[in-house]
Amino acid sequence: MNVLPTSLGRRALFQRAGFGLGGVALTQLLRQSGADSPAVNNEQQAGLPERVAVGHQPHFPAKIKNVIYLHMVGAPSHLDLFDLKPELQKRSGEDCPKELFESGKFAFVRDLPKLLGTPENPKHRFTRSGDSGLPISNLLPNLQGVADELTLIKSMHTNEFNHGPAQMFMLSGFGQFGRPSVGSWVNYGLGSENENLPGFVVLITGSVLGAGSPAWGSGFLPSVHQGVEFRSQGDPVLFLSNPKGVEPSSRKRIIDTVNAMNQAQLADLGDPEIATRISQYELAYRMQTSVPELMDISSESKAVHESYGTQPGKNSFANNCLLARRLVERGVRFVQLFDQGWDSHNSVFSNVARKAKQVDQPVAALIRDLRQRGLLDSTLVVWSSEFGRTPFAQGTNKADKAGRDHHKDAFTVWVAGGGTKGGMSFGETDDLGYTIAENPVHVHDFNATLLHLMGMNHERLTFRYQGRQYRLTDVEGRVVREILS
Amino acid sequence: MPYLNTPPLIRGIFFSAMFFLVPLWCSTTLAQVDADLERRSVDFSEQIEPLLRRHCQRCHGEKHDEGGLRLNRRIDAIGEADSELPIVVPGHAGESLLISRLIDADAGELMPLDGEPLSQQEVDLLGRWIDEGAAWPETKSKGKHWAYEAIKRPDVPDHLTTEAVIDHFIDQGIATHGLVANPRMQPASVARRASLALIGLPPTPNDIEQFVASSKSASGQAYSSLVDRLLASPRYGERWAVPWLDLARYADSNGFQADQIRDNWAYRDWVIRVFNQGMPFDEFVTDQLAGDLRPNATSDQRIATGFHRMTTCNVEAGVHPEANRVNQVVDRVNTTATVFLGTTLECAQCHDHKYDPFSQKDYYRFFAYFNNTPLEVKQTSAVTWDFYGPKMDLPLEQNRKQKLADQNAELRKLRVKRDQVATESDSQFEDWIKRLRDQQPPLWESVTLVDFKTTGNEDVSLQPDGAVLLSGEVPPTVEHTFVLQPPAKPITAIRVELLTDDSIPGSGPGRGEAGRPNVILSEVTCEVMSGEEKNKVALTTAVADYSQPNWDVARAIDGDRKTGWAIGGQFGKPHWAIFLLAEPLLLDPESQSLKVNLGQYFGSGRVAGKPRVSASTQSADLLFLPDDLRSMFKGEKLSKQQRKKLRTEFEKVDKRLLELDQSIARIEKELKKLVPETTLVMQEMESPRETFVLRRGDYESRGDIVEAMTPGALPRDSTVAATGDRMELARWLTSAENPLLARVTVNRWWAELFGAGLVPTLEDLGTQSDAPSHPELLDWLASELIDSGWSMKHIHKLMVTSDAFQRTAELTKVMVANDPVNRYLARGPRFRLPAEMIRDNALAISGLLSEKMYGPPIMPYQPDKIWRSVGRNQPKWVAAKDENRFRRGAYVVWKRAAPYPSFINFDAPDRGTCTVNRGRSNTPLQALTLLNDPAYVEMALALADRVISESPSTDDRERVRYAIKLAVSRDAKEHEIDILVGLLSSERDDLKNQAQFVKARTTISVPALELRSTDMQELAAWFAVANAILNLDETMNQ
Repeated sequence: MNVLPTSLGRRALFQRAGFGLGGVALTQLLRQSGADSPAVNNEQQAGLPERVAVGHQPHFPAKIKNVIYLHMVGAPSHLDLFDLKPELQKRSGEDCPKELFESGKFAFVRDLPKLLGTPENPKHRFTRSGDSGLPISNLLPNLQGVADELTLIKSMHTNEFNHGPAQMFMLSGFGQFGRPSVGSWVNYGLGSENENLPGFVVLITGSVLGAGSPAWGSGFLPSVHQGVEFRSQGDPVLFLSNPKGVEPSSRKRIIDTVNAMNQAQLADLGDPEIATRISQYELAYRMQTSVPELMDISSESKAVHESYGTQPGKNSFANNCLLARRLVERGVRFVQLFDQGWDSHNSVFSNVARKAKQVDQPVAALIRDLRQRGLLDSTLVVWSSEFGRTPFAQGTNKADKAGRDHHKDAFTVWVAGGGTKGGMSFGETDDLGYTIAENPVHVHDFNATLLHLMGMNHERLTFRYQGRQYRLTDVEGRVVREILS
Repeated sequence: MPYLNTPPLIRGIFFSAMFFLVPLWCSTTLAQVDADLERRSVDFSEQIEPLLRRHCQRCHGEKHDEGGLRLNRRIDAIGEADSELPIVVPGHAGESLLISRLIDADAGELMPLDGEPLSQQEVDLLGRWIDEGAAWPETKSKGKHWAYEAIKRPDVPDHLTTEAVIDHFIDQGIATHGLVANPRMQPASVARRASLALIGLPPTPNDIEQFVASSKSASGQAYSSLVDRLLASPRYGERWAVPWLDLARYADSNGFQADQIRDNWAYRDWVIRVFNQGMPFDEFVTDQLAGDLRPNATSDQRIATGFHRMTTCNVEAGVHPEANRVNQVVDRVNTTATVFLGTTLECAQCHDHKYDPFSQKDYYRFFAYFNNTPLEVKQTSAVTWDFYGPKMDLPLEQNRKQKLADQNAELRKLRVKRDQVATESDSQFEDWIKRLRDQQPPLWESVTLVDFKTTGNEDVSLQPDGAVLLSGEVPPTVEHTFVLQPPAKPITAIRVELLTDDSIPGSGPGRGEAGRPNVILSEVTCEVMSGEEKNKVALTTAVADYSQPNWDVARAIDGDRKTGWAIGGQFGKPHWAIFLLAEPLLLDPESQSLKVNLGQYFGSGRVAGKPRVSASTQSADLLFLPDDLRSMFKGEKLSKQQRKKLRTEFEKVDKRLLELDQSIARIEKELKKLVPETTLVMQEMESPRETFVLRRGDYESRGDIVEAMTPGALPRDSTVAATGDRMELARWLTSAENPLLARVTVNRWWAELFGAGLVPTLEDLGTQSDAPSHPELLDWLASELIDSGWSMKHIHKLMVTSDAFQRTAELTKVMVANDPVNRYLARGPRFRLPAEMIRDNALAISGLLSEKMYGPPIMPYQPDKIWRSVGRNQPKWVAAKDENRFRRGAYVVWKRAAPYPSFINFDAPDRGTCTVNRGRSNTPLQALTLLNDPAYVEMALALADRVISESPSTDDRERVRYAIKLAVSRDAKEHEIDILVGLLSSERDDLKNQAQFVKARTTISVPALELRSTDMQELAAWFAVANAILNLDETMNQ
């Protein structure tokens, strides 16, 4: 008879890492314990609990182990970066077709607007890039250089058209508060691979996104799965550094004292939580060294700094991209970057150009760097946002001032890395970039695909809450197999 | 319960420790224990039916027959599956597909397809049940789910007192599961557990001594009276408010993009107050749902309805008000069902409930009760929505009431006077018009910009036209100072222009972001520089071409850095503001200069990109005349409308009127401080809304009209009047017919006190819930709650005075095997305190705790950059320096997008939605918080100081003993004292000749604590001991 899936480690790191185990009876107990994780820890089943494993075996072989998820907060104009529409350019300035306008929901525009095409000048032109010839805007020259790694999904659509709810929808599959974020689902399903770091790390540039910290929260999942923000100013992890006047030697001694006292309690009571507490204090002490070491990018070579455009000590998107690589190198499952400032209700062309310039070099450098280090095969880089922008103008349609409103019905995300084809584009919008013409990909489909790449069946990655088996993908979602290699 | 909503039996955390523990004791083998267990035969209704309900029937049940299979009736279950294989073969688990589909992937995809696999224990149980013959009493399959049946007070032996009933049932469970109960803890530890459980604070050493002494003499009574004292303490309401506020999703902010602060705290205070007063729980429920609908509702009854105004609200620019409103009603419905019924009614929002007896129609009938309150967003300008909706003034103290009345009377008088003066000045108005018509002077003198300074690091480029173009780094806040050479004539006014430029994102005028280039001039000030001497120049009146609502230009000269002039809503074009000098000012251009300072303190880079400052020597009335009015004089005659506009303008510059206006403004400002604080309440609209079934839950897809009605599957009470409003709902919920409210409530209290519910799924008592460990006890407690007049304190007292509550927490080998998660309570409940109580407890131990109650939320210390502005109009985080920093966690401000970080590290929710059951994680971030968070470091210093100055003896070991008593109430053991004294000695050695460390440790608090110790060297060494003690697992466990 098969042994039922049992697992120990899905929350291992942040709940209780690393004390030694042994003895045959233990495995027996383990098997009796039943599963507390949807994915299975093979090591436990094999009866070899030599250490608390912090990785898990997924539902089926995973293509990737890590995700670096770049969320462009405010929503970039995908039309001017990835989804060029010559017909829209041709008809720029004409009234938006009434039936189209009336069928949609928009945040700001209420009166029939004018169509707005991408400016026809060299700066905003698209170039067929790489061997694959993917058309990408000249605003992203470095990204053009890694075009063959990218899989563009031009037919994304979502349910929400305001930033806060749309961010929650994109990141938790639900437009209100209360559900777990995608990173916390992954962390719940697979855990971290590094005993000294959390499985889900968040890095932020610019002001925090509208949805606030719930965007990386764990909803109804145990809070150990929530994202941990690594900050660029002050302590990288809250309360990491010792108070003034407490040297590391003294801190060590205090922790040893706490643990010796706790050990005595454990001997008296046998409460397993005490054992966990002891190991967490040890881990906290190790983190006091490992996290600052991780966050200090000055040890990187000059060539690396030049390629990313990083400067040690600065709070920049480039620095965060480099940190993302360092986190993935160390086994952090899910690294989420937020970059604020993409909302363009006016002057969309100058704004998208300015923002593109900030992120183009580091994002391309990240992909190249991961490739060179052999990490790209096991890592998925995601470029995403909460929605797209309208093909019509908000306000004036003069090229220098025109804006674009929020658009939930069609936008572009891209992925690069393990398990994906690269050098391809999937799905099409109509000639005006207004609706999806071919192969729609809903947020739930995208999330199902992401989980699939990590070896998880989105229909089986569930958590029982209020009597219901909740999923990241609600009751929908289709794995977009067409983009998988 | 260590983990949210995962059935305890399958919670891995325990097993981790079991590995650790088992090698410690191996006298009996586990196999023997198993054998003991297996001797009992499996009971279908208690053990098997709940498993089938929970794992199988959502797809193979009454409503669904996936693959042609139903597992709700024996007759179906004993049949064959599509594969023609038998599902259940009585007596032969090995041949039953029911088992193989759970464990053998070769038999087909493992079940359940959509959920967590069954645990090995569950599979074994099913297997044993089949092997024992698969008994399936026919009557059972017809019955309702237990929770929907009426509460039946179970029979107990006559001789049992009420106080003994809990233990009667608990002891039965202990015996049935082959367990042996642990003994009672030492009195001091019992006192500590009861105190933490009931008031969230530890007993003082004095309390303990008294209790221990009285325990020796009158054993039975001592504990009972201790519990009575705790129940009577004002701290009781503060402790029990915390889980209730989780249910109520109480927070001090809106949530979402513009996570602004809102005033709700009167509701929080009400909860604390009525818990302390012992309000009957049914009244407590009724007031919150429908207090406003009581006849002659009192202030308190209306404040209570704030319960349902806690819903989040999106005031983002693109919000669709109806969508927002429907989301809010949905939240109210779902929260009501979860909190008071323990049901997942929300599953019926889009379709009939899959496994509980609620239809979609039931959902919208329930919805109709809440569908009659006004919109809660209001458009205040083209792109600005504000949080809105019914509020009430809080009752005032007599004193303040009087002052308020006086000032209002004064204000009315002034307004009358102003009207008189305005009428009298008609002839002056005509003169004024004439003068304006005749005057054609240049309005603004060109003044030479002598110098420009900025506190930011921008690149500065002086423009030929006197403007200053700023680029490069965008400072979040800044001061720009213009030094001007004055004209030779008296200056009457200065003008500040915020110009646009293509180089600014979005063309400006502000530099913050292209989409929203606002500038907020917080304060404009003016000085005359005569050599080294500076003299302030008073600015009296301000006029601008445009002011954003609530950001009138007058606020740029009101002396308040939090207010100012902003231009939101009109970006991409230049703006100007004119500030009139109190007196015309003649300066010597050779020796004097005029300094104009533009303070821009809002944050987020809402700063000017191209400001220009100029001065005027013309009379004020002319300057203040907007261009469109001035152009009126080009024509010969003024239209009626034009005259009206001019009149308004004239009144702004008439000196007498001006003075009156200033007096009025002053009183209005005073009144602002006197007006009552407000709180959010529920209020019905005059004409009710129609309620429709919303297809797929979409607010735009309306189906049938429905009327307010309670769910059909639950009994209705004929004595409740069908008024169709929230009062009907409240009466129904609290009626004796409702089987759920009392069960749900006692179950949650049980979980608070014993660590896990009798039904572990606190949020759901429906068919998918975990089966109750002690069904009879649950019903007995529920009926006792009702019979006691819904007395919360009565039930709490019964629970904490039970033997089960007072036992030691020692985990024995039998428990490891038979009851690892302590469902049967053979050992005492020992678990980590909730987030707020971790802090409260440490504050109390260190002697810092303030017992101040009630009032607006407090801001104790937290690290920088946590309170990040999301959206607009955010108050700044100003860490309290007074006793507010030491008040209980229940009073800490709760901002949904950025909650208090040390609470979050201990599993506090963000309160965006109703939270029934917080997790109880155990993480290194918790260790870092207690070791290093400056708030806890400060507490360690205070504890060290307290121990040194209060300990009865100066001996190191005695002091350690005292410290341990403060922290965990009990006497320290000798080897514990050895460990801590060891730390103390090493620290003393290390701190010798390390004056800088001593100083750093003892001055760590801001503002400085009043220390009683005089020997700083000693205090610094004891600091380490105190830091360790506040980090003990025992200290943070109840």
